[in-house]
Parts: sequence; C-alpha cells; structure tokens
Amino acid sequence: MHIPDGYLSPQTCAALYVAATPFWLAAGRRVRKVVTSRYVPLVSIGATYCFLIMMFNVPVPDGTTAHAVGGVLIACMLGPWAAVIAVSTALLIQALLFGDGGVLAFGANSFNMAIVMPLTGYAVYRAVAGNSSLVSRRRAIAAGIGGYVGLNLSALFAAVEFGLQPGLFHRADGTPLYSPFYISQTIPTMMISHLLIAGVVEFALTAGVVAYLQRANLPLMRINHPGFGADTGDREVPHRVGWKRPAMVLSVMALATPLGLLAPGSAFGEAAPNDLNLAKYHLDAVPDGLRHYAGFFHNALFDGYGFKNDAHPAIGYVVSAAAGSALIALAFMLWIGLRRVARRRKSQRVRHMAEVLA
Amino acid sequence: MTMAQAVTTTPRWLLESQVGLCSCGRNGLRRKTGFVEKTITGSTGLVRTVLRSDDIAASSGLMQSIDERIKLISIVLMLVAVSFVRHASLLLAAYAVTLVFAHLSQIPLRFFVKRVWLFIPIFTGIVVLPATLNVITDGRIVVPLGTVFGHRLGITSQGLQAAALIVSRVALSISLVVLLTLTTAWSRLLSALRSLFVPRIFIVILGMAYRYIFQLLDVTDEMYVARKARTVKADRASASGRRFVAATAGSLFGKSNELAQEVHQAMVARCWRGNARTLASRRISMRDVLWFGGCVFVALVVLVIDRSLGG
Repeated sequence: MHIPDGYLSPQTCAALYVAATPFWLAAGRRVRKVVTSRYVPLVSIGATYCFLIMMFNVPVPDGTTAHAVGGVLIACMLGPWAAVIAVSTALLIQALLFGDGGVLAFGANSFNMAIVMPLTGYAVYRAVAGNSSLVSRRRAIAAGIGGYVGLNLSALFAAVEFGLQPGLFHRADGTPLYSPFYISQTIPTMMISHLLIAGVVEFALTAGVVAYLQRANLPLMRINHPGFGADTGDREVPHRVGWKRPAMVLSVMALATPLGLLAPGSAFGEAAPNDLNLAKYHLDAVPDGLRHYAGFFHNALFDGYGFKNDAHPAIGYVVSAAAGSALIALAFMLWIGLRRVARRRKSQRVRHMAEVLA
Repeated sequence: MTMAQAVTTTPRWLLESQVGLCSCGRNGLRRKTGFVEKTITGSTGLVRTVLRSDDIAASSGLMQSIDERIKLISIVLMLVAVSFVRHASLLLAAYAVTLVFAHLSQIPLRFFVKRVWLFIPIFTGIVVLPATLNVITDGRIVVPLGTVFGHRLGITSQGLQAAALIVSRVALSISLVVLLTLTTAWSRLLSALRSLFVPRIFIVILGMAYRYIFQLLDVTDEMYVARKARTVKADRASASGRRFVAATAGSLFGKSNELAQEVHQAMVARCWRGNARTLASRRISMRDVLWFGGCVFVALVVLVIDRSLGG
C-alpha cells in the first residue's frame, strides 16, 4: 500500500501533508507528556520494530507470503499516539533509504498507514476488548479485529485518494495525468484484496503477537494497560471512591425535597421566637440571648425561604432549595479543582527533582 | 577494475548473493521459497543495500560534494517539477539526465538502473496495464482486441499515454530519490531535514530508529536462521508458520523494549534531559549555489517545455 511518487498529483500530496501535520504535532505532544524523557528511545525503537514488522513474510494458505503493516499492533503495545510517530518514522526510512513509498507521497502514506490505521484500529480494539482481562482470548481477538478494520480503512482512504485523480487531473483529450483508475474501480479492487487477504494477514499477526505476549511476556502488555492487576491480568478496582453513585443518591434526595411542603406543622426548632409556644417548654418569656440573635441574619438572599411577603411560598421554597444546592455544588467543584492544581504542581516538582537527581 | 569498485570499502563477496542462499532443492530443482527463506533473503538484501549505499556516499563524486541541505531542497524541487510534467517523452529525457548525474557521482550505472527498473515492472507496470484498455480509459482504439459480450475491447491511445506517463514519472521520481540517498550519508541527510522544517526531536528519533534497525535485524535473523536450521522439509504449513511469525514478532517486541530501556538509561547517564541536537552543517560554498541555481533553471526549463508541448 506504499504509494510511490507519480501516482498522486502534487496538489493531493500537499493536501495530505496538511491533513497529517496536526496529527503529528498532537502525537508528539501527547507522547512526550506521558513518557517524558523516555519518549525518544521508546518511540525510536518502536519505529525500528515497526520497520522490521513490515519486513516479516507472513505465510498465507495458497503457499505464498504477504506483509503486514503492524500499525494497530504497535498502538496496542505503546498507545495510539506513539504508534502514529513510530509508523511515520518507519515509513520515512523506507521512503528515503529504499525508495519504498514516495517522498512527495509521504504525507499520503503517513495519513493512511500511520494515522488512520492506528487511531481507528485502536478505537475498535478498545471497544471490542472492553473491560476484559489482560490475558483473555477476547483481548487478542479484539486486537486482531482492530488490525483488520484499521488496515481496511487505511486501504479505503488510499483507494479514494487514487480514485479522485483521473476525474480531477486529466488532459483535454481525457488522458489521465496521474493514477488512471476511477473511484468506482479503485475501491472494489483495493477493498477485495485487503478484505480477503491483507486484512486477514494483519488480523493473524496482530492477534498472534498479542496472544503470544499474553502467555509468554505479560508485563509487556502492561506498558499500555497500566490499570490491570499484576497476577491475574484483571482490571484492578480503583482505589478512589467513585463519585457517580453518591451524586445519583444526592440528586434523588434533592428532587424529593418539595415533599416537605406536603407535611403538616412546622419543622422543629425553626419557629420564630414570637411564634413559640412558651408554655410547652415551661417558659414565661423568650430568653434574652434567643431574642437578641433571632434577628441576626436579615440580609439573606432568600429571607424566610420565600419571595417578598411570601406571595408564593411553595415556589420560593423550591427556588431557594435549587439555588442553595447549586451554590454548594459550585463550592465543592472549586475545592476539587484547586486540589487537583496543587497536586499537579507537586508532582511536577517531584519529577523535576527526580530528573535533577538522576 | 571500475572506479566504483576502487572506492568500495565493503569486501566484494559481502555484496554478492551467495550460493548457499539459493532456493534450490535436492536434485537442483527450483522450488518455491518459504516465508523463512524470504525473510532471511530480505534482511540480507537490506544490509547489502545499506553497505553499498554507504560506500557510494563516501566516494568523491559530483553530488557527494554538494551540501546536503542544498541537495535535499533541490531534489524535492525537482520532484515537484516532475510531478507537474504532462509528457512521457520529456520525463524519459529527464531520466537520461539522471543517468549522467549518477555516472558523475560514481554510482555504478547497472546498479542504479537495476534498483529503479527492477521494481517498476512489478508494481507500477502490472497495476497500470489494465488502464490501457478502453474499458478503463476511454478513447481512440489503436490496438483492437475483439469484442467481449458485444462490447469492443481494445487498447486506446489515451490509455497507452497514461500508462507511459505514470511509469516514466514513477521511474524518474525514484531515480531522483535514489540519487539523493546514494550520494548522502544517512547522518548528513538527517541533519539536512532541518532545512525542510522537520522538528529536531523527530530527526533524533529517525537517527536512533535507523541505528537500531541493524541490531534488531540481527536478532530477527538469528531467530529465522535457527528455524531454518531445524527444519528439514520445506516449511509449507501456513498455520504453524503464522504462529512462528507471531511468536518471533512478540519476542522481538520484548527485546526491543529491553533495548529501549537500556538505551534510555545510557542516555540519562550521559545527562540526557530531552534536548535534541543534530550535526552542525557545513558552510554553503559557491559550488552549492551554482548547483541550486542549475536545478532551479532545469526545473523551470522542463516546465516551460512541457507547457509549450500543450496537452
């Protein structure tokens, strides 16, 4: 699927360079953020690995052999963004050193094989694998399906790029200037060969390598799957308390508060001093302290839980309840945000210290 | 002894195919090569190509003396110009010029031509062959091939022109890239990528990836040679073969990861803080300026001639 120079018009090549650039920049930034100074050797040797994987001849049933790309395999091992850089690097070495794939078409080749393939294939892998154990058969098959889908989507993009050429770039007499096949011809040709042969080879290699690592070298699988247990390969129970369940309970309780309006009488201890039934408490007069502090907080936003003169007490009650809950939630979120910023600063300081000490 | 052989630093026997790698079975009958032999042949071919390229880049030819940044930019400029050309005849004429430059740069012509044309008939030729038919490229039929299901079938003039155009353009583009890479040492070529706005960190990654290809290729070779050594019959079983390839790839990943860790530790031990550095470039000389001017002139002339030919 390595497109050589000459098949695509310079305009198409330029457009695909432009399309690939934001992905390269994003990949560089994300990978560096995750693995910091380990970034360069990890991605470099990932690229070397990818280059060698493309050289492996995989036997197919008719006695011949085929090559795999390995983009999704590297995405499963090192993460999708590391795969973007690793596969791009391998493709550039092939283009410059061996003339395998063009220099002007490098943007197109990278877009198809180093961006579309690992990103889509990895998404499929994550979706199919779900929360299954790291050693489960389902995970190996999910990686294989990811490889199959990723390669076929990559082939589809290449077919569309080829197929657009004759319609857009031709001489006055109809002679195509670049790839001569139309989209109605390139899509079936490319897709049949990739769906039936190349995709199956990609499936076999990707699933085969994951299955091998599951039984022979599980720690390698954990590079890109840090949340899985060391012994069983199952996903570990997170230590932090989940916020979803308490939030649901609190929401139900908040929604049920207007029920209080239906209750007869008034809440204990909330009556104004003048409304108190003094005889009930064996008192002759309201205590001085209570009288003094009863009118202490007159500047509340919703004084007496209602609007002016208690025109609509029920509405006032509900509105003030909602506003109060919102204020508390806001304060809580602010506290969490500040804590997170403080924690991040601390970890940056620690990392910096570690680097200095190293 | 030719000039190219005189500057060769790699022993000649290392650059030639060995009889031991021939896929002959017993009785000298040729049989289909299995995946193990193909991978071993592929890896030795790769090493051979790289050794030969290094030798040529170290020799003192015309293109070797040009500054790598100027050479890279001028070749990319030529590639762009070539991609705009609409006439196969012009492309073939330009191809003849690359042969002259290859000769002046002490590249053995046979090697240069073989490297380009060995792959073109297989990949490009076969792919564009159906495009010559009127069912793909409609036009004036010049070679009628009869009728199929009541439809006229034949090779069209437009189809032939399109096929000639694409084959010659692919050949010329590959030749230009090969000219560049054969006359420039890999480390120099990488530092020249800076002039095309490639980030420095990416250049360091490229350099490291290239450096470790050979170490990991050695590891792969050992695994495949071990498999070949313990296989008496030809390895035809595809299912077990695929399992072997997957296990080899998995084991190679483990070794690659170990290597990455060791390299990282070695880098940190040598004060690596994530700041990438590349080789300092030479000063641009008059010869480089002349070369660049010549390339721009040739590119413009080619484009003007192409436009004057019409089409």
